[in-house]
Amino acid sequence: MNYPVLNLDVFGGGLLIALIAVFHVYIAHFAVGGGLFLVLTEHKGYREQNPAIIEYVRRHAKFFLLVTMVAGSMTGVGIWFTIALLNPGATSVLIHNFVFGWATEWVFFLLEIISIFIYAYTFDSLDRRTHLLMGWIYFGAAWMSLFIINGIIDFMLTPGNWIENHSFWSGFFNPTFWPALFFRTALALIFAGLFGLLTATRIKNPELRHHLVRYCALYLLIPFVLLLGSTWWYKIALPPELRTMIFQLMPEMQPYITGFILFSAVLFLGGLLMAIRLPRCMSCSAAVIMVVIGLLYMGCFEFIREGGRRPYIIRNYMYSNSILKQDLQAVRQQGVLKTAKWSREKRVTRDNRLTTGKTLYNLLCLSCHSIGGPLNDIKPMTKNFTPWGLENMIGAIDRFHPYMPPFAGTRLEAKALAYYIAFGLNGRQDPSEPVAIQPLAEVKIPAFNRETDTYVLLAWTDMGMQAITDASRSWMMLPPGANLHAQLIKRGEIPEVVTENVQISYKIDPAFAHPAAAIEFWQNAPLLYGKKIKPDTGLSGNPLTGTMKAGELDFSADLLPVVPYPAGGGYMPYPDMTLTATDTTGKVLATTKTVIPVATEMGCSTCHGGQWRVDGRAGLSRTTADNILAVHDRLSGTDLKQQAASGRPVLCQQCHGDSRFGLQGNGRQLNMSASIHGFHANFLDPQGADACTACHPAADNGASRSFRGIHHTLELKCTNCHGSLADHALSLLKAEQAAGKKRASVLMENLKPEMVADVAEIIPRQPWVNEPDCLNCHVDFQTPEDDITFNKYTKNEAALFRNRTDASGQLRCSGCHNATHALYPAVNPYGRNLDNRQPLQYQNAPFPIGSNKGCAVCHTVPMDEEMHHPNMLHTFRNQ
Amino acid sequence: MDAATLIPTPDQIPVGWGWFQVLLTLTFYLHVLAMDTMLGLVIIAFIHHFSSENKSLPVTREISKKLPYAIALAVNLGIAPLLFVQVLYGHFIYVSSVLMGVFWLSIVLLLIVAYYSAYIYSYRYQSMRAGRMVTSGITMFSLLSIAFFLSNNMTLMLHPESWVRYFEHSDGFLLNLGDPTIIPRYLHFVTSAVAVGGLGISLFYTYRSSRGHEGCTRWIRYGCNWFAGATIVNFALGFWFLGALPEGLIKPVTLVGGLFSLFLIMALITAILAVIAAMRYRPLPAAGLLLATLFFMVLVREFLRVSYLKPWFSPVELTVQPGGWSPFLLFLLSFIAGLILIGWMLKTTLAAAHKKEARS
Repeated sequence: MNYPVLNLDVFGGGLLIALIAVFHVYIAHFAVGGGLFLVLTEHKGYREQNPAIIEYVRRHAKFFLLVTMVAGSMTGVGIWFTIALLNPGATSVLIHNFVFGWATEWVFFLLEIISIFIYAYTFDSLDRRTHLLMGWIYFGAAWMSLFIINGIIDFMLTPGNWIENHSFWSGFFNPTFWPALFFRTALALIFAGLFGLLTATRIKNPELRHHLVRYCALYLLIPFVLLLGSTWWYKIALPPELRTMIFQLMPEMQPYITGFILFSAVLFLGGLLMAIRLPRCMSCSAAVIMVVIGLLYMGCFEFIREGGRRPYIIRNYMYSNSILKQDLQAVRQQGVLKTAKWSREKRVTRDNRLTTGKTLYNLLCLSCHSIGGPLNDIKPMTKNFTPWGLENMIGAIDRFHPYMPPFAGTRLEAKALAYYIAFGLNGRQDPSEPVAIQPLAEVKIPAFNRETDTYVLLAWTDMGMQAITDASRSWMMLPPGANLHAQLIKRGEIPEVVTENVQISYKIDPAFAHPAAAIEFWQNAPLLYGKKIKPDTGLSGNPLTGTMKAGELDFSADLLPVVPYPAGGGYMPYPDMTLTATDTTGKVLATTKTVIPVATEMGCSTCHGGQWRVDGRAGLSRTTADNILAVHDRLSGTDLKQQAASGRPVLCQQCHGDSRFGLQGNGRQLNMSASIHGFHANFLDPQGADACTACHPAADNGASRSFRGIHHTLELKCTNCHGSLADHALSLLKAEQAAGKKRASVLMENLKPEMVADVAEIIPRQPWVNEPDCLNCHVDFQTPEDDITFNKYTKNEAALFRNRTDASGQLRCSGCHNATHALYPAVNPYGRNLDNRQPLQYQNAPFPIGSNKGCAVCHTVPMDEEMHHPNMLHTFRNQ
Repeated sequence: MDAATLIPTPDQIPVGWGWFQVLLTLTFYLHVLAMDTMLGLVIIAFIHHFSSENKSLPVTREISKKLPYAIALAVNLGIAPLLFVQVLYGHFIYVSSVLMGVFWLSIVLLLIVAYYSAYIYSYRYQSMRAGRMVTSGITMFSLLSIAFFLSNNMTLMLHPESWVRYFEHSDGFLLNLGDPTIIPRYLHFVTSAVAVGGLGISLFYTYRSSRGHEGCTRWIRYGCNWFAGATIVNFALGFWFLGALPEGLIKPVTLVGGLFSLFLIMALITAILAVIAAMRYRPLPAAGLLLATLFFMVLVREFLRVSYLKPWFSPVELTVQPGGWSPFLLFLLSFIAGLILIGWMLKTTLAAAHKKEARS
């Protein structure tokens, strides 16, 4: 926030520091261990009275000088230069707090330079003892340099009590100081052996070569014990939360951890191999390879150490993007642009989204993410997101990615940053126009003669808004399966609900009669549900044209496999169903029509990449579906993507129980509703009702617009009845938390309720059982005084609107009012009165059956009693 | 845009700013001595190879031997002032470094090139001819480039009003070329390096002469001539530099302006006397006067920086974080012990070399 940011683009993401630092640190460790190697080998030469060994030491010292003094020292200066460019804020903290540590290290560096020059060039002029003493002085100075730098570097990882007292000594002798010192000393000795091999394998005399190669190999083998011990010590010295993050929560670290373990073994085995007598050319090549492996080894360790600091550059003090932890809330309130000294634009506007987005990127992201570079390239990481999706991800970036700093900006700044990345860099856009819908040319109202017809046939589905998932080769969450209901009423003075000696058949619009040609559900059903299902029939065996099953009050046909894909192509989420009631002789008693709402408009691709599968407006593409599995794998440690790729699609409910489908899950994971709402609420909650329509097919500008009933016309939002996404999720999660599922608490941690003051006030509920009740607002069926309800749910499934009856216990609420989300009078986007055909058929008005005192639909005599529910004998209020 | 709003907020310092000012001045003085010697020697060597078809002279052979040491020492002695300048002026120099980031970073690469090239020049001197000019030239041009970038950074940090250019060019390719002092300042420093390099040659041969070597007189004169010539040129460059300073920047009636003027005059006097001594081929008095001149000029440079930054910042404004004395003491003790040890090592090594020389 304090300094300008160098616009590195492809060189961002820590590439520069990685290149310079890994190389420098490798050489710097060699510079320490190599010093000891020189003097001990010289001692050996004198002890064995072997001038050839002394000659080897002399040559190795020259090589050592060239490598460490030039490449080592200069890249050391390079690190200073680089960190000051990449993170001046953090550099300033290190300089100002440890200036005398650095200055002391400088003294030792000066000693190193002078002593190594003297050592390398005075084999002939100094007496043995003094010459060796010069070597020891060099090694002592080099190790002291390591001692000091080690304190400052590990301060960044584990600052310990410095956070509270800002004392030099607390920061320097931090919790990982000693294990890191031993660890690095062991590394230094191993690297001394590696470089020793490089020169020893080039000796022409085979005996001397073999003798010295075996000697160098000891430097790989003996310090290995120290390395193992100090690695273990280093690991347990890390604060537990840091250990968890490095070794469990950061899958990005895994390759480096694996690499470190693997290369440890390779170097040890390499040491053993080199102890065997090998031909010169082979040992030379092996030595070169091992030196390269040593560099990779160092790189792995440095990446783990640097990565372990995330999301901080100085743990618990300064985030990677230079924002101080203590300043985070203030920055959030004021905004990054206003807080940053080096931002010309101080406010996001519609016109400057790209430029402010880029500024925000430079300020907040560039220190770790390159643009198109080889390290931490932001483009592939964000390619799946549209600006809207990314905005939500950015706002909660730290919640499931603990190595990411929390977003420090305002919501508008998140929007601008997301726009810059998703559109500016990746070229993805959110739809700017509503999806164009071609309404049906004509909505035919079935015939009904009020004078002569004896029967009224009412039909509905139990859900007015229903989605299915159609990427079953990858995974399945919502199988095709609409539940159709019907009631046949015999008109009369006392009308009668008829279920005996009659038959009600249903017939899908022929354009939708062969769903198996449109989706792959039937091919994958055996793998998903363990049973083969006949094409074009549903999970319960019902076909799309058939006879309904009679119940006590109504008829039903369960799990009809209706899909929104007509035979001619395209997307139509309201397939037509014709119902016909006949008596035992086959005489038609009544006919009516209803729609089967079924949508595949789940906006997963907004955040998970891919495109719509069908007609640019609906359907889950395989890419999107696989990307979702990849995210699941990354965050939950599963391998579902691999499972699906190997031909075994994933049934979500196999682990996540779902009472809607009667699936128990594995009992350990959250139920489906709690899991999916709980996870996504963490990202989407700030979007209000738009959060709901990101996944549910209810958006006003979408291709389905399934929220189309009277409440929609009255401009109620999803949140009026369901609460915000956080409220909704919390109510589900609390029930799971009470059931002892730990994951619930994790998902709840950052969710804040909107409808109540505190999470404690949220009433736990079960999905598909405890739902908002109409009577919460329509108290006693009267005109509502409020249009918001929360925390008050149906007690059981029987109390759900779709299962309830009127006061007489004979008529289903849905029969007269239609299904939830499509309550009469509904406005269907594919034909204004598509949902209203039954009220228009029976009473020539789109209002609930019997409204406007329309008792004559069923009653052949005037009625003055509110026998179905109170307040019904009135003119419909919202005409 | 008000440039003052761009200046970052500085961090706290562990002990009073005066200590850091003393350490900065002192270590920069040591650095400039080593740096001038290094750069001056390589420039003289290159000019010689360039102008005499790569003929070898004892002086270039000696330069080739000493150059790697000089680079190592100059770099090492540059670390300390760079450290202390960050303590006092980090919030200025970090900004200027970012603004010219690409050039600033290229210094590392240039340094490695210069260093390895110097080693090749040293190790292969005898076996090369054209290579002498090439390798010494690569080292020289690399070091001259580094010097140019350093001059840019050290002046860019003094001009917050020019920092707003960042908003048009945030790619690290900004320099401070709009500053009329940059060229005379750079040339002034480089020419002083030639002068110091020349006197360094004189001193080396004076020492050799004292050890009984013959044929040193020619090279003592050779070095003195370089020193005197370069310093005379530098008078002109210095006045150009002085004249290019913004009007009103130095007000002799103020404390800072007064001290600036005083030390500048003292530097002028000692420099004139040094030139006279050099023209009389008396390198030791010339060296003493040169050391004084350089010291005064280092002080002049510090006061110039203070004057430039006066509208924006003064180190007096820095706040102190308590508890910094014990690490300071540790540093001082290490420094003193280190110097004693270095003294002993050099003495022992030289004694052994003399002994060996006497034997042979």
